[in-house]
Order: sequence, then C-alpha cells, then structure tokens
Amino acid sequence: MRAATWTGVNEVSVETVPDPTILNDHDVIVQVRQTTSCGSDLHLIGGYIPFMRAGDVLGHEFMGEVVEVGKGVRERKVGDRVVVNSFIACGHCWYCSQELYSLCDNGNPDPGITEGLWGQSPGGCFGYSHAVGGFAGSHAEYVRVPYADVGAFVIPEEVSDTRALFGSDAVATGWMGAELAGTKPGDVVAVWGAGGVGQMAARAAMLLGAERVYVIDRLPERLAQVRQHVGAEVIDYMTTDVLAELREVTGGRGPDVCIEAVGMEAHSSGSAGVYDQVKQQLRLQTDRPTALREAILACRKGGSVFVLGVFAAAVDKFPLGALMNKGLTVRGAQVHGQRFMPRILEHMARGELVTEHLATHVMSLEEAPKGYQMFKDKEDGCVRAVFLP
Amino acid sequence: MPLPKIVSRAAGLAGGAGGKALEQLQHLRLPGVGQSSVTDDPRTAARRWRAVTVLTDPAQLEAARPAPLVAFGERLEVRVTPAPGGRGAELAARFRGPVTEDEIGDLRAALREAKALVEVGEVLRVDPQPHGHRPATPGGAAIEGMAAEAPKQGVL
Repeated sequence: MRAATWTGVNEVSVETVPDPTILNDHDVIVQVRQTTSCGSDLHLIGGYIPFMRAGDVLGHEFMGEVVEVGKGVRERKVGDRVVVNSFIACGHCWYCSQELYSLCDNGNPDPGITEGLWGQSPGGCFGYSHAVGGFAGSHAEYVRVPYADVGAFVIPEEVSDTRALFGSDAVATGWMGAELAGTKPGDVVAVWGAGGVGQMAARAAMLLGAERVYVIDRLPERLAQVRQHVGAEVIDYMTTDVLAELREVTGGRGPDVCIEAVGMEAHSSGSAGVYDQVKQQLRLQTDRPTALREAILACRKGGSVFVLGVFAAAVDKFPLGALMNKGLTVRGAQVHGQRFMPRILEHMARGELVTEHLATHVMSLEEAPKGYQMFKDKEDGCVRAVFLP
Repeated sequence: MPLPKIVSRAAGLAGGAGGKALEQLQHLRLPGVGQSSVTDDPRTAARRWRAVTVLTDPAQLEAARPAPLVAFGERLEVRVTPAPGGRGAELAARFRGPVTEDEIGDLRAALREAKALVEVGEVLRVDPQPHGHRPATPGGAAIEGMAAEAPKQGVL
C-alpha cells in the first residue's frame, strides 16, 4: 500500500510499504477514507520529538471503514464506518476505568522511553514516534487499530466523513480541555490558538454553557473561521495587548478558564520570542511556552488553566509565582477521546459541532509532502491538509 | 573497508548504544527530567521489590501466578497485596539472589506482560508493522535500539 512517511527532519515522503496485519485478537484493520495533518505532527517532522525512525508512517487523526476484525473483537464489524481516537487505550486498566484513556497502562509497548523522561508512561498513539509505542500511523491506505472495541466509534449516518474525521483528535482534545478545565454556565473562557484544536475547544466551551468565549491568534483566516463557524469572539495578538484586552472585557477579573492550544513551538513576537527561540535552538529549553505563560498571567484568581498543546520536557521562565499566588488550577493531558466521543458524535449529528471548514486543503495521499509544507507555512490559509488515500 | 560496510557497522554499534543510552536515561537526574527509581547501588537494586498495580481481585493473582512470572521459577519472590482505593492488586516481585541489570530488565518486562494478560487477556504487539525505507544510519539504529530495549526499561 501507499503511505506517507517521515524520512528525516523536515522531510515527508510517500512510499510503498507492506499492508498492516492483525497482530492481536482485539485489532481491526481500517481502510482509511480521510486522514488529516495535525499541528502536533510538526513537532515530530521538525525533529523536536527525537524518537522518530526514518520510514515511520505518520498520521493519528483519521476515519474509514473496517475491513478485517480480530477474533476478540465484539462491538465492531466489517463494513462499519468508524472514527478512531488517536490515543490507544485498552479499556481495562484502572486509568481506563477512570476514563483517563490517554494514560492507559497497556497501550504503549515501549514504556521505558517516557518513563525515563517523565516517571510514568502515557498510552500509545498512532504515528507519533517510538516514545508512544511506535505504531504505524494513518496516512496510509490501511491502518491497524488495536483495542478496536474501545477506540473505534461507529459514525452516525447524518455525520459526513469530514465532520467525523476531526472527532478523532481535534474535537475530542478541544472538548476535553473545556470540560476538564471545569467550564460551567456563565464562565468567560479564553483559548490560545485558532487551529483545529483551539477552535473546537472554543466551540465545546460554548456548548458547555460558557457565556463568552475569546480565541487568540494572529492569522486572519483562522480568526475569520472562529467568527463564522464557531461563533466566538477573537483577539489578534499582533495588534492587541492580550492581557489588557482580556482584563477589559472581563471587568478586570480575567477569564475563568484559560485553554492553551498552541504547544511547544509557540510563535511570539518581540524580545520574548527571540529569547525563547534562542534557548530552544541551543537546547537550553526544549519547548517554547509563550502562550502558556500568557494564559497563566491572564487567568482570574482561583481560575483554571488547561494545557492542550503538546509539550515534551522543560520550559524556561514558567510563571510559577503567579500560578501559586493566584490559586490557579493547572491541568493538562493528551486526549482522553474515548470518554467524549459518544457525546461529540451526538452533537455532530445534531449540527451543533461542525468541522468541515477546518479541511481547507483536501488532496490525495500522494500530495502529503506538499500538504505538510503548506500546513507548516500556513500557505494559502491552510488550517488543515486532509489526505484521501 | 567499503563505505556501506562502515555505515552498517556504525549502525550496529549505534543500536547497542541506543539501548545503552536508554538504560542510562533511567539513571539521569537533571532538574525536571529523569525520574528513575533505580538509582540504588546494584546490591540494593537487586533486592528492591518491583511492582505493578493490576485491576483485578488480589485472590485471582494469589490463586494463579501469571505465566510471565512463573517462567522465573524459584528465583523470584512474589508478593500480592490489595491496592487502596479500589485499584485492584499490587503485584510485586524481586530476586532471591544476586542479579544482573539484564535480569532486572527481564523482570520489568514480565511484570508488564503479567499485568496486560490479567487485565486485557493479551500483550499488545507492535511488530511487524508497515514502514517505509529505513536507511542504515547510526541515528536510526540508535532509535531502534532504544525501542527494542524500552519494554525492559523504565521506573519499575
């Protein structure tokens, strides 16, 4: 089959690779219909997460049709149209029993790498390096899905392929941030980042009852999408002092909930941006936490900050004093998608969660290298490059 | 020596180095990075109980010791205790006599496999799986070495 692979720092190729096979009784094989680039892929492709092997198949956000099932699979069957959560979880360990699926104890066959870094290992993830299992990704004609009864969800008829596609990660991650940050009716919520995850975090906050939601970014086409498709208000950080603006629009309090949906390669202007770039390039910090710092500083006293963007290790100038003295709750996670997917699909079916607009550039799998370049450079207003194998 | 052979030999060495590097990572204690529980001296490390928490009735583990631990025979002491807060059972094991770092690695892998077998009924596999061309480079071999060693490493 054909697949898009990582072949070196800032290199993506399309190659002929072997087809996947059932390896465990709880596996299914999915014929991929749609698979999308994700901002977190750029950390892998750029070499910021140095656990990729040349030839690894990329992709972790996808939907398709079940074409083969393992003998232990009970809920899924051949012919099911499914969306698959990007994190791989067994459904049987204590973490899964607590619906903390991305922390699954049995989903990562290579736990030694992340245990050495972080003290514990998260679950596995499709196409996201050998640090989280080394599983082949979804930018391919077929993908093996372990623990399919837990991670693959049948898509309601009313939901289009493209709408369902983003349930795999962007919507589930955004929903998780809004819900686990404790968003409740009447809250003011601010979201840093107007990519797919940030937009969906904003939409989820609105569906959870937030009274006002602000999304912060600098790219006009993304801010326009937020206004048109999400219905939230926007702040352009290139032209507006974000902290002052948020204070003004919240009566001086600051947002109740702040959601960071940017991650380790945050863009920033001015001296702070240069400082973070230099420290990261010199490996004196692994991640650039610009948006996270601002979220902590902006948040109201006693408020809640959720870290959705992917970070790898250590950051500099972390405002711990603000966090402690303002009594903030800070939480983060990779996506516990299995927890939220049933509700997300219901909202999608009712038309309350739309995602089709995120697929700004739909192309064949053969064009994946071009798609990733456009996505990285944000060329032609690219929000997501979606590949059709 | 021809260049391809040199690269191939370097890659082989790097593979071993990758596994070794991962082993060393477990001992790394930089601010904010490195959380190993195996910084003990070898004698103490050999006697430390290594444990996983299994979401099951402790009686089940008492009644039938999981196969991956049975394989060690009488060389292991095994302890099962109820885990607090409804988390199931704490399954711990340690060697009765002196052991090597490799043997401790085998025990880590066996405990993880035992947990998966009891909780899920099978151990998740990842190979063989689709991948593209993998040139024989030292960097690539180091990643493969790390991945191969990863089931035996970690904080257990």
